[in-house]
Amino acid sequence: MSFLHVKLGLKVEKETVSLTSNEEEYYMSNGISRRTFLMGAAAAGVAIAAGTYFSWNGKNIPEEVKKGDVTYDVLVIGSGGAGMRAALAAAENKGLKVAVMTKLQPTRSASTMAQGGMNGVTKVTDKEDSVESHMFDTIKGGDYLCDQDAVEYFAENAGKNIYEMDYMGFPYNRQKDGCFHQRKMGGHAHARASYFEDRAGHAMVHTLFEQCLNHGIDFISECIMLEISMNGDNLNGVIAMDMRSGNILGIPAKTIIIATGGYGRAYWVRTSNPYSSTGDGIVAGMNVGIPFKDPEMVQFHPTGLSANGVLLSESSRAEGAILVNKNGERFMAKYAPEKKELATRDIVARAIATEIEEGRGIGEGIRAGVYMDFRPIPPERIRERLGQVWELSKRFAGVDITKEPVPISPTCHYSMGGLEMADFHTGASRVKGIYVAGECSCVSVHGANRLGANSLSEVLVFGHTAGDGAAAFAKSNNYAGSQDKLAEDCSRWKDTFEEVTNRRRTVGKTVPEIRDAMVNTMWFKAGVFRDEQHLTEASKELEALEKEYSHCYVGDNSHVFNTAFYQYIELGNLLQISHAIVQGALARKESRGGHSRRDYPKRDDKNFLKHTLIFKDKKTGKYRAEYKDVVITKYQPKERKY
Amino acid sequence: MKYALFPGCVLEGAAAEAYTSLKKVCEKLNIGIEEIPNWTCCGASHAQGVNDLAALAVNARNISIAEHMGLDIMTVCNTCTLQLRVAKKRLDEDKALREKVNKILKDSGHPYEYKGTSKVTHFLWILDEHPELLKGKVEKPLSGVKVAAYYGCHILRPEEVMKHGESNQNAVYMENLIKALGAEPVPFSASHKCCGFHAQLAAEHDVLTVTGQIVDSADKAEAAAIVTPCPLCQMQLDMYEPEGRDAVGSKAEVPVLHLQQLVGFALGLSKADMGFDRHVSGQKKLKIG
Amino acid sequence: MDMNLKIHRFVEGKKWVQDYKLTVKTGMTVLEALTEVKEKQDPTLSFTCSCRSSICGACAVRVNGNAELSCEVLVETLMKRYKTDTLVIEPLGNFKVIRDLVVDWDPKYATIKKIKPVIEPKKEFSLETGCKQSPEEFNKFKKYAKCILCGSCVSECNKSALNQEDFLSPFVFVKAERLVADSRNRSPQEQLKAIVEAGLWRCFNCQECTAKCPKGLDPAGAIEKLKESTFAHKLDDNVGARHAKAIYDDISDSGTLDESKLNIKSEGLIMAALRAPMAVRLMRTGKMNPMNGHPVNPEIETIRKIVKNAEAASKEAE
Repeated sequence: MSFLHVKLGLKVEKETVSLTSNEEEYYMSNGISRRTFLMGAAAAGVAIAAGTYFSWNGKNIPEEVKKGDVTYDVLVIGSGGAGMRAALAAAENKGLKVAVMTKLQPTRSASTMAQGGMNGVTKVTDKEDSVESHMFDTIKGGDYLCDQDAVEYFAENAGKNIYEMDYMGFPYNRQKDGCFHQRKMGGHAHARASYFEDRAGHAMVHTLFEQCLNHGIDFISECIMLEISMNGDNLNGVIAMDMRSGNILGIPAKTIIIATGGYGRAYWVRTSNPYSSTGDGIVAGMNVGIPFKDPEMVQFHPTGLSANGVLLSESSRAEGAILVNKNGERFMAKYAPEKKELATRDIVARAIATEIEEGRGIGEGIRAGVYMDFRPIPPERIRERLGQVWELSKRFAGVDITKEPVPISPTCHYSMGGLEMADFHTGASRVKGIYVAGECSCVSVHGANRLGANSLSEVLVFGHTAGDGAAAFAKSNNYAGSQDKLAEDCSRWKDTFEEVTNRRRTVGKTVPEIRDAMVNTMWFKAGVFRDEQHLTEASKELEALEKEYSHCYVGDNSHVFNTAFYQYIELGNLLQISHAIVQGALARKESRGGHSRRDYPKRDDKNFLKHTLIFKDKKTGKYRAEYKDVVITKYQPKERKY
Repeated sequence: MKYALFPGCVLEGAAAEAYTSLKKVCEKLNIGIEEIPNWTCCGASHAQGVNDLAALAVNARNISIAEHMGLDIMTVCNTCTLQLRVAKKRLDEDKALREKVNKILKDSGHPYEYKGTSKVTHFLWILDEHPELLKGKVEKPLSGVKVAAYYGCHILRPEEVMKHGESNQNAVYMENLIKALGAEPVPFSASHKCCGFHAQLAAEHDVLTVTGQIVDSADKAEAAAIVTPCPLCQMQLDMYEPEGRDAVGSKAEVPVLHLQQLVGFALGLSKADMGFDRHVSGQKKLKIG
Repeated sequence: MDMNLKIHRFVEGKKWVQDYKLTVKTGMTVLEALTEVKEKQDPTLSFTCSCRSSICGACAVRVNGNAELSCEVLVETLMKRYKTDTLVIEPLGNFKVIRDLVVDWDPKYATIKKIKPVIEPKKEFSLETGCKQSPEEFNKFKKYAKCILCGSCVSECNKSALNQEDFLSPFVFVKAERLVADSRNRSPQEQLKAIVEAGLWRCFNCQECTAKCPKGLDPAGAIEKLKESTFAHKLDDNVGARHAKAIYDDISDSGTLDESKLNIKSEGLIMAALRAPMAVRLMRTGKMNPMNGHPVNPEIETIRKIVKNAEAASKEAE
C-alpha cells in the first residue's frame, strides 16, 4: 500500500521547538510537590512544575497505519458496545485485518453509562417468557413503528448474546441455581433483563474491551473520523485526524462498520448522553448516501436535573417522589388522573413541558423546570434506596432531597433514529461495504420509543451481526477503492484544518456560542413538543447558524490534541443532525412515541405507519424526505395503553 | 488519662530508643501507659497477604486484651495503628465475621472475646486532640528550629480507616504540634509520601531512591531535622540514609527523629534521655536536646 | 465567590502554569470550571471528558496534588478542604502527558495485556449455554468489576513514580483480582504467575491507590488478596513472598518479629551476607544485636492455636 497520510507541518513561527510527530517531547507529571499548596510560603514553587521530559512515540495508532501500509478488511468506527462486539465477531475470521477506531479511548462511550440491563429471552428467571412476548412488548413499546421482521430476528438472537457474554466473563448478578438473574423492566411482560447491579453497560463495555485486548484487536484511539471516502460506488476508506499529532490519516478499508452512537447532544445540556454523542457517524453516512431513518424519534426522559440534564433515576417516582409546579400544585393529576407520577416516560415528560410552557415552571430558559419533591418518602428510605439520586442532587443542584425539592426537567435520553440498516441479517447499509450497528443505526427495532434494557441487547445482537456481515463481505471481495482519491480527501482536510484553525477572533461567533444558539432552537422548537410553526422557524434558524458556522472562530491552531478543532467538527455534525431531526419532525404530521406534535396530537396509522428517510443531497447539501413502509408481520397496530 | 500501650515489634528491637523516649515523655505529660500484656505482632502489613483471617484473629486478640484492661489503645507506629484499626473496623461492621473470629479465639483457649469497646488511637492524635497536655510543659521551646514533618502513609491512608481532623489529604496536625513545641515547620514536598519500608527487600533500588529523595527534599527545605510519628519510617530514613544518598547522588544528611523525641527535647529532655546515640544519621548535626 | 485556577499547560513541548479567574456557582464541578475556561476564556485549554456522571473514567485530573474525577468533585468542596481560593490543576501523575491535562493511556493498556485480562471458562461451560456461578461466588469478585479505568489510583502511587517498568498500575491488580476470584475461571495460575512476575510484591503498601479510587474499590486490598492466592497456588518462591511468610511465621514462633533473622529468611543467607556492612553499622549503634536471644511470648501456645484455627477456617470457607 502506498503512503497515505498528509502530515501537517508544524509552524516554525511558533516559539516552540519544531519536532516531527514521532519525536515530539512529552513529559511525565509525577514530581509535583503536593504539599506546596498547603503552606503559603511555598505558593511560588508551583509556578513551574517539576517533570521529566523524554521522547515519546505515541502508540494510539498501529505502526502500519502510520506508515500507510495496511488495508483493513473490517474497520469499525466507534468503541462502544456495538463497535467492540462487531470487532470481536469479525476477528473470529482468522486472517482478516480488523481494527476499532475511536475519537476517545475505548471505554469512554455512551454504552458505559447504560444502567438497567440487557434483555434476552432465556427463561432462566421467568419460565413463562417467550420470543413472541419480547417481540410484542418491543413493538408495542415502539408504538408500532418497529419493523416486525427485524424485531423477530432481534428477539430470537438476544438470548444467545446474553449467554455468550456470560462465557466472555460479564459479571452477571446471579440467582440461586447459578444462572444469571433476570429482572423485569418497564413495559416488559416478563423478567428478561440480565444485569450487573446498576452498571450493566459499564460491565459490558469492559468485558468486551478485555476480550478485544486479549484477541489483539488493533485500536486506533483518539482519532476522530472526518469523512468516509468514496470513489463513485466504491469505498476507499476513512479520513480521520489523529488527535495526538494532528496528522490527517487516510485509512483504506474494504468494509467499515459505523458504530458511533447517538445524537442526544443536539440538545446539549438537556441530555443525559455523554459529550461524545454527537452523531458523527450518522453525518458521515448521510454524506455518502445512506439515509437517516426516523431522525425525529428522540426519547425524552422526564426527570433530568435542570442544572445539567443528568438523569435522576425512574425509581425516584416509583418510590413516591411527586412533581410540583411553582404554585405548589401536584400537576400530574391533571394529565394522568390515575397513575399520576407513575405514568409512562413520554406522558410525564409532556406534562412537565406543558407546565413550563404555560408559565408554571421555575427557572429560566434552557434550565427551566419543575420541582421533584422527595419529602413524601421517609428519609431512611431515601438513603437506603435512592442513594445515587440523593448524591447527584446534592452534588449538582446543591439540594438535600430529604429536606427540599429539586428542580428537574425532561432530558434527551436516547436516539431511536439513525442510519438505515438495509439488511438486518448482515448489518449492511444501502451503500456497498458500509455496515451500521448500535444507537447510530436504525434497524428499526425501537420504532418510535425504545423500551428499557433493549438498547444494550440491540448493541450486542446487531454488533455481532454487522461484524459477521462485514467479515463475509471482506472475504469475498477485493479492495476496490482508489488510493489516489483517499489521498486527495486527506489533502483537502489538511487545508480545511489550516483554514479553520487560523481564523482570527474577529471573524464571527465562537463554537460554543453557535452551539448554545442551536440548543435553544432545538430544545424550544424541536424538543418535547413540536408544531409546524416552530419547526419551520427552527429550520430557518439552523440554516442561519450553519452560515455562521462556516466562518466561526475556533481559536486554537496547535496540531497536538486540538480539542477546539474537535469540538468544531462535532458542532458541524450536530447542526446537520439537527436539520435532519427538524425535517423529519416537520414531515411527520402525527404524534407517535417520542414525537409529539401539538398540531397533530393523534397517531395516524393511515398516513404515517412508515419510516422517514432523510437524504442529504451531495451537491446542494439540501435535505429531502422519503418514506418507507413499516414491516408488519404478526402484530397489527393497536392503540398503545399501559 | 491512661492508655493500654501497643508498642509494636520494632520498639522492642531496632527502635528501642523510641520506647524509652516515649516512656519519659508520657511521664512528663502525665499520660499513663500500661503495655498490653503478651501482645503479638500486628502483622506488619504483610501477614494479611499470607492469611487474612489469621492476621485478623491475631489482632482481635490484641485488642480484646486491652478491652479487658478497660482502656483505649495507644500506638506509636503508623502501621500498627492501621493494622489494628482495620481489624477493629471490620469486626465492628461485620457481625458474622466477628462471630467467626470470636469462635477462633475461644476454640484456641484465649480467655476474652472481641467486643469492640476499646478505641485505637495514635500518640500524635492524642497530642493533637489534647493541646492542654503540653500547656506549661514546654520548658525549652525549640525556637528557630526548622523541622520537616514527615507523616508517612499509614497514619493518613486509607482515610476511611484513619480519618483524623478535617481532611487527611490536607492534614496539618503534625505541623501544628511542631509549632506548639516552638519549632518551625518547613514546607516539605515529600511530607505525605511513602518511605518504601515495606518493599525494601522486593524493590530495593526504588526504595533507596525514595529514601534519598525524601531526605534530600527535607534538606532543600533547610530542615534541621525530619520528624515522624512512625518508627518504621524513622528506621527507613535514618538507617538507609547513606544508601539513599548514594541512590540519588545527594549529599544531604538530616537527623530523623521519632515524634516523641522532638516532644521530649521541647520538654527539656536531653539527647541521652531520648536515646539519640542509637541513630545512624545526623549524629553531629542535631543541634537540639 | 471568586476563585483562581492555576492550570499546568503543556503544548508542543512548551510548559507553563496559567492563571484563570472564575466565579464559583452552586454545584460547579471541576470539570464545569475547566469547561467554562475553555468556552469563555481560552479555547486552547485541552482536557478530556465524556459522561460527566463518574462512570466513563475520562476526566480524572490532579487537583492540589491529589487525583480527582473532575466531573464528580465540586470546586467548593476542594476550596473548603484546602482552605484556599486557589486550585492547582495538573494532569494525572505517573502518566505521560500529551497536551495540557490530556494523558497517554497506551502504556497502561499494554500492561493490562500482560495479565491476560479474560477468564478461561471451565470445561463444563460453553458459549451456547453460558456459565454457572453461585451468588456467593459472584460476591467474591463483584466489587473489583467496577473499575472505570480513570487512572486516579496510579496518579500518586509511590512505586509507580519510581519505576513503572517492573510494576503494574493499581487498577491492573484490581482487574487481576476480579479474574482470579471469578469461579468461572478454569485456573488463575497463569494470571497469578504473570502478576508475580509483573511486580506484585513490589507494592510499597502506601495506600495512595485506595485513598484515590473514586469508586472505593481498594486496589491495595486487591493486591493483598492476590498475594494470598499466590501462596495457595504455590507461587511463593520469591523474596517478597518469603519476607511476608517470615513475618507471618514469626507470630507463631515467638509472637513478635525477630529482626535479626528476617533478612536471612527472606533473601537467603548469601544475599543477607551481602548486607553485612549495613549490619555492622546497625550493631555499632545498638540497633541490632544478634547475640540477644529473641524472647518468646508466654501465651505462644494460644497464639499458635489461633493461627492454626484461622487457617483451618479460611480453608473451609473456600
